[in-house]
Amino acid sequence: MIRRSFIPMATAALTAAGIAFLAVACADMEVAEQTADADAVMAPMFEVDPLWPKPLPNHWILGSAIGVTVDANDNIWIIHRGNGNPSTELGAAQDPPVAECCIPAPPVLQFSPEGDLLNHWGGPGEGYDWPGSNHGITVDPMGNLWIGGNGGDDAHILVFAQDGTFLKQFGEPGARRADGFDEADPAWSGNSMDPGNFGRVAKISFDASTNEAYVADGYLNKRVAVLDIETGALKRYWGAYGNEPDDANIGRYDPEAPPAQQFRNPVHAADPSNDGHVYVCDRPNNRIQVFRTDGTFVMEKVLSGNTLGAGSTWDVAFSKDADQKYLYVADGQNMKVYVLLRETMEVLTTFGDGGRQPGQFFGTHSIATDSKGNIYTTETYEGKRVQKFTYMGEGPVEQQDQGVIWPSASR
Amino acid sequence: MALRIPVGTTDRVSPLAGRRTATGRVAVRVLLSLAIAGLAAAVPPSGAFGHDIPSDITVRAFIKPEGQRLRMLVRVPLEAMLDVTFPLTGPGYLDLSRADESLRDAAMLWLGQEVSIYEDGTRLAVPELVAIRASLPSDRSFDAYDTALASTRGPPLPAGTQLFWQQVMLDVLFEYRITSDRSEFSILPGLERLGLRVSTVLRFLPVSGDERLYQYTGNPGLVVLDPRWHQAAFRFVQLGFTHILDGMDHLLFLLCLIIPFQRLRVLVILVTAFTVAHSVTLVAATLGLTPAALWFVPLVETVIAASIVYMALENIVSPGLRRRWMAVFGFGLVHGFGFAYALRDMLPFGGDHLAVSLLAFNVGVEIGQLLVILVCVPILRLLFRYLPGEQPGQSGRGGQSEQAGQSGQAGQIGQAGRTGWTGQPRRIGAVILSVLAGHTAWHWLLERGTILWEFDVLATTPDGALYGVAGLLVLMLVIAAFAGWAFLRSDQADRTLQ
Repeated sequence: MIRRSFIPMATAALTAAGIAFLAVACADMEVAEQTADADAVMAPMFEVDPLWPKPLPNHWILGSAIGVTVDANDNIWIIHRGNGNPSTELGAAQDPPVAECCIPAPPVLQFSPEGDLLNHWGGPGEGYDWPGSNHGITVDPMGNLWIGGNGGDDAHILVFAQDGTFLKQFGEPGARRADGFDEADPAWSGNSMDPGNFGRVAKISFDASTNEAYVADGYLNKRVAVLDIETGALKRYWGAYGNEPDDANIGRYDPEAPPAQQFRNPVHAADPSNDGHVYVCDRPNNRIQVFRTDGTFVMEKVLSGNTLGAGSTWDVAFSKDADQKYLYVADGQNMKVYVLLRETMEVLTTFGDGGRQPGQFFGTHSIATDSKGNIYTTETYEGKRVQKFTYMGEGPVEQQDQGVIWPSASR
Repeated sequence: MALRIPVGTTDRVSPLAGRRTATGRVAVRVLLSLAIAGLAAAVPPSGAFGHDIPSDITVRAFIKPEGQRLRMLVRVPLEAMLDVTFPLTGPGYLDLSRADESLRDAAMLWLGQEVSIYEDGTRLAVPELVAIRASLPSDRSFDAYDTALASTRGPPLPAGTQLFWQQVMLDVLFEYRITSDRSEFSILPGLERLGLRVSTVLRFLPVSGDERLYQYTGNPGLVVLDPRWHQAAFRFVQLGFTHILDGMDHLLFLLCLIIPFQRLRVLVILVTAFTVAHSVTLVAATLGLTPAALWFVPLVETVIAASIVYMALENIVSPGLRRRWMAVFGFGLVHGFGFAYALRDMLPFGGDHLAVSLLAFNVGVEIGQLLVILVCVPILRLLFRYLPGEQPGQSGRGGQSEQAGQSGQAGQIGQAGRTGWTGQPRRIGAVILSVLAGHTAWHWLLERGTILWEFDVLATTPDGALYGVAGLLVLMLVIAAFAGWAFLRSDQADRTLQ
């Protein structure tokens, strides 16, 4: 009798006391943490999700992944170049097949927020010219997907519906061929004044409030071009510092030289914010140039200014708060992502390091954010993947360079 | 700018196609479909595509009673509106200049006719369609009621907007006539057939001003929007009951619990200990006392699998009631976190009655567990009776223990109760069943452990919640040890009294 009445009562009483004790203890700790953090620099914190996305079916393999975007339903779209993989990676695609694996996945892949492959399409088709080397994918306010290209003849932009239906093509391939073009010794030249064609477009971004597309143009031209989303009509364009673009070769980047007055190729991204600014990645010059939407120069921010080669400023994405408080910059040369306070362009922290494990990068090429604040990146060269970095809320910056943000921190 | 568009795709006419199986209001839908088809045929040269049921869609809705009317704002992807022909142009753009009537038909067919709203238990009449608008997928007006209302009643998109029809968002404003905005309202959404997986984000704005957010997938059944405590309790008892019966790992854990101890009285005590333990962590998790680290969910799932493996092994080696009681309590703490993740999105269905809802959920879980016991114990006894071996009462210690264990008198669990083994046939049967259960759980353990292994748990930076959980677990272990000690003491006292 003692047993049956005593045990449940004792348990219930002690558990109730325990919960009360823990609630108070946790509340105290939270207050203490807030006090301790009062002077700390706060920044958005992330952890890599090593299990995202789920494996592709059909022995599909990714190639250099050179674009990522998130649609209104938080689905993630990437574009890659699976056909560019070496034959050692495409054993099942050889004629005859030499192995059970692998086959290049279709160029455009759509993933759910959970990492499931939802849709796939892309490649040459009727009525349009698939780029020689597709580059960048972005979703416009209508939900359509825009694709550029940095292949030899690529001088155009393609627009598709989400089901892969071809909608529009702006510009014609081959428009940038040099005078006296010779197939045996091909040469191309930029023309940043061309109102109808482009010069190897890297990325297209959108301003829904004005129905305009901002083209990072590009790998051959040296301009930001602003188009009407529906007609593709060129509305305005500009070069570095708002100068008239000049396509002359200005040589390699020199950290000791005065700032170049023109963009270097490639102009890799041009993203409008919701407060009327445009953030342009002048990649080999290691700088973000900020403009008003009419092309008026506002300021520039140099990141890792001693970087040579491919440069440090590859792509930008905004945090998803209403003020777009933070700017995320992908750096495929130093293998990291910068977190900047957009108002001051101060670097708050960076994350990532070189390597092929989750949270590391090899050729951090493109970056995008979803409505929950999560970051997605794609990697070019031999990186060949898409990664998700889960938003963990804002936290105090304990290290300027966080390195690999392995999923260990509890915030 | 050189512009190239698809050739030969302007003003297509495609056959009407609906692949959805007609159920429910079949006659209404057929008549409406015929009417719409007739309308489409009469409006050349418009067209629409036959298309698949979308796999995954999200519906956003607001419900707000105001005076003598109740407003319902709904946003749904147009691609979910099967059986309706929309006028298209170009490669597949919705022809906004001619779309209004088909959009209205689609809205009534899939929303107005399907959604049932009740005022004080009486179903309201079919609503009036007050406003309808095709919107861009990037439009954010449905983030809040006021902006959604203004947008839906505002000017339509310009007629020339090139919006691919499958990317159109359809915004609809319905109005129902009601007696009072202070009545009790319920909704039977009926939207689960819009897609293979339909997620709904429903916001109810009662006249009291406290907005309630409901998020669910599929059909939630009748949702009382501002429930009274007994309605919340009933719903959460149901939830708890169905959750335990749906959860294979929880059921397997229960089965392992039952196998060696087939006396109802002992099992009821064990299961109640399990319920008390998981109630503690369920409440803690609901109050937010769980770490935010990504590895925590895989950890909980891994330990749940481990709990089954442990139970199965103990069944095979030597089940003892004393150890079992404490193990059940300890593992119950972990299962509670698992329940919490299942319950998290459902809590708004309890309205203001959080405590009642939690309690009711636990009651539902307990009822489900007891039902499992009531069903399984007689079946196991029957099965074990036909296994080869020494039967109860034939001879030896086992038979004597069985008689003692089944006497049902208080304080007579004695040796049989603490060892569990009460007869050779039962042992053989228990070993077989435990091996099967343990084998299944072992695979779960490996799968879940592999996922957990991906995370660097030891490198975690502790926070308040983590300390809270760790402290809670330590405290529970202390309680379990204390209770176990008390149990032994009282058991000895019982035997002394005998």
